[in-house]
Amino acid sequence: MATELPTRATNGEGAAPDTAGEQNFTVKTGLARMLKGGVIMDVVDAKQARIAEEAGAVAVMALERVPADIRAEGGVARMSDPKMIKEIMNTVTIPVMAKARIGHFVECQILEAIGIDYIDESEVLTPADHAHHVEKHSFKSPFVCGCRNLGEALRRISEGAAMIRTKGEAGTGDVIEAVRHMRTLNAEIAHARNMSDAELRVLAKDIQAPYDLLKETAKLGRLPVVNFAAGGIATPADAALMMQLGCDGVFVGSGIFKSGDAAKRAKAIVQAVTHFNDPKVLAEVSEDLGEAMVGLNCSSMDEKDKMQGRGW
Amino acid sequence: MGSAGQLMDTEVTVGVLALQGAFNEHIQLLRAAAQILAGKNGVQRTWTFKEVRTEAELKSCDALIIPGGESTAISLVAQRCNMLEPLRDFVKVSRKPTWGTCAGLILLAEAANQTKKGGQELIGGLDVRVKRNHFGRQIESFEANLDLPFLQEAESDLSQNKPFRAIFIRAPIVEKLLPHVAGAQHEEAKLDGTIIAPSRAIDQTVAKAVDLADVEIMCSLPGRTTAVNMKTKDNLDAEAGDIVAVRQANVFGTSFHPELTGDPRIHIWWLEQVAKAVDQRRGA
Repeated sequence: MATELPTRATNGEGAAPDTAGEQNFTVKTGLARMLKGGVIMDVVDAKQARIAEEAGAVAVMALERVPADIRAEGGVARMSDPKMIKEIMNTVTIPVMAKARIGHFVECQILEAIGIDYIDESEVLTPADHAHHVEKHSFKSPFVCGCRNLGEALRRISEGAAMIRTKGEAGTGDVIEAVRHMRTLNAEIAHARNMSDAELRVLAKDIQAPYDLLKETAKLGRLPVVNFAAGGIATPADAALMMQLGCDGVFVGSGIFKSGDAAKRAKAIVQAVTHFNDPKVLAEVSEDLGEAMVGLNCSSMDEKDKMQGRGW
Repeated sequence: MGSAGQLMDTEVTVGVLALQGAFNEHIQLLRAAAQILAGKNGVQRTWTFKEVRTEAELKSCDALIIPGGESTAISLVAQRCNMLEPLRDFVKVSRKPTWGTCAGLILLAEAANQTKKGGQELIGGLDVRVKRNHFGRQIESFEANLDLPFLQEAESDLSQNKPFRAIFIRAPIVEKLLPHVAGAQHEEAKLDGTIIAPSRAIDQTVAKAVDLADVEIMCSLPGRTTAVNMKTKDNLDAEAGDIVAVRQANVFGTSFHPELTGDPRIHIWWLEQVAKAVDQRRGA
């Protein structure tokens, strides 16, 4: 996408609030901008976090079980043990993110209290609220949230998310859903770009998105915050595919530490995101990576087994 | 022929290192700055701004910005795509104008601490010791108004009276100014948890035009140092406060992010400095 994220961060409230307030949106979106062109990796302990850091990850997501294991083991998936998250925070110098259940604002308060750098209000965990997402503006910690389409993305930004990721289907190693969500976003934004204000008002109602944010998105030709791809990315080619589709960076969950040679694959995916437009480099880094994660075919999954439907 | 030669001389290519981070934001601000410069009466230039990912792209540049991002990631990616030595040539041997913001400042430091286990590769170029993540984690990130006296050097009127809104994201600071030494900062390497950049001698043909003087403090942040604990405070230069902008022989570093504001004043000032340095080099 030839469109750029303007340097003055906005969240649909006109100009950026120019206050020194701690909850300042510019500071929250600022960190997301620093992560662009990078890879954020799921890690379950300090050892994996070090491997990710050495591979060139721009941040790590600390969680007790990667999505593939959550899927296999079933049960209720909750916020990770703060002790384990703190160990990872003390081990690496890059930003550390952690997941809270959708709507579970107390898990978010706990993550903020231990000084987490980003909170992922995530569908990978079992939702805690049947209808409400967390009101995110009042937190000092910035939030990233998942989306499948434009309406979902803009609702999350309106609640205070400073960064968006497409949901994909976590823990599968199948990139089809990440592609579907990125293509859906792109198509909806392209459609909105050619609309008059009156038409945008109707669209805002249809996709249940705030009109101001939708109008800003239509003007920019992209989401007004940083947007990463996530859910099913398992190879350097997958990562570059998502970058060429227009995302700003990628999350890799189970894809790295469920593969044969995690360190090597992690490095290769980092290189692929930097050189996403250079097939020669992509060919080089794709060589001899050992086994990719086995994966689950999304098309043969039951709807009830999909995580992407969580959140509203 | 004469006019063609003149035309060539007004062309300046500025690269932004695009391995990772907020490189596009710098390109937007550079374009805004160039547009303002074009409306002034000063020396006119034909500016080209480009993303730099390879040695060939770097070689085509007269000046370079190393953007904010994760310094460990940028350093590791640079190492793996064989960009570290070309970057050291550009900054330290050819001494071409280079500006680093946040992660870029860390990479341009001759010494750094609080880096990841096992350290990281530095490019070097500024005789300073930089402390990573000085203010703490993301929840300690902040905005502050800064007075930037160096903007008065600019030929363009930059409404200097207005403070500059600076954004600090998990920001580093310059903890200590180091004496300029022949070779690497080996004294620094003896300190706990401190890493240094390898030495690269300046090209003698450019040495005449470049004054390798001591590091100049361009801006300090008042009043924040009190927030850090006493042990850390002892390591800081007593008079310096929190140094957040420095310059030494064509190399400029800021620990904050002018590229996250809509304010192109520092970019305008820097492009003027670049134009001067390029003229000097081309013997204009």
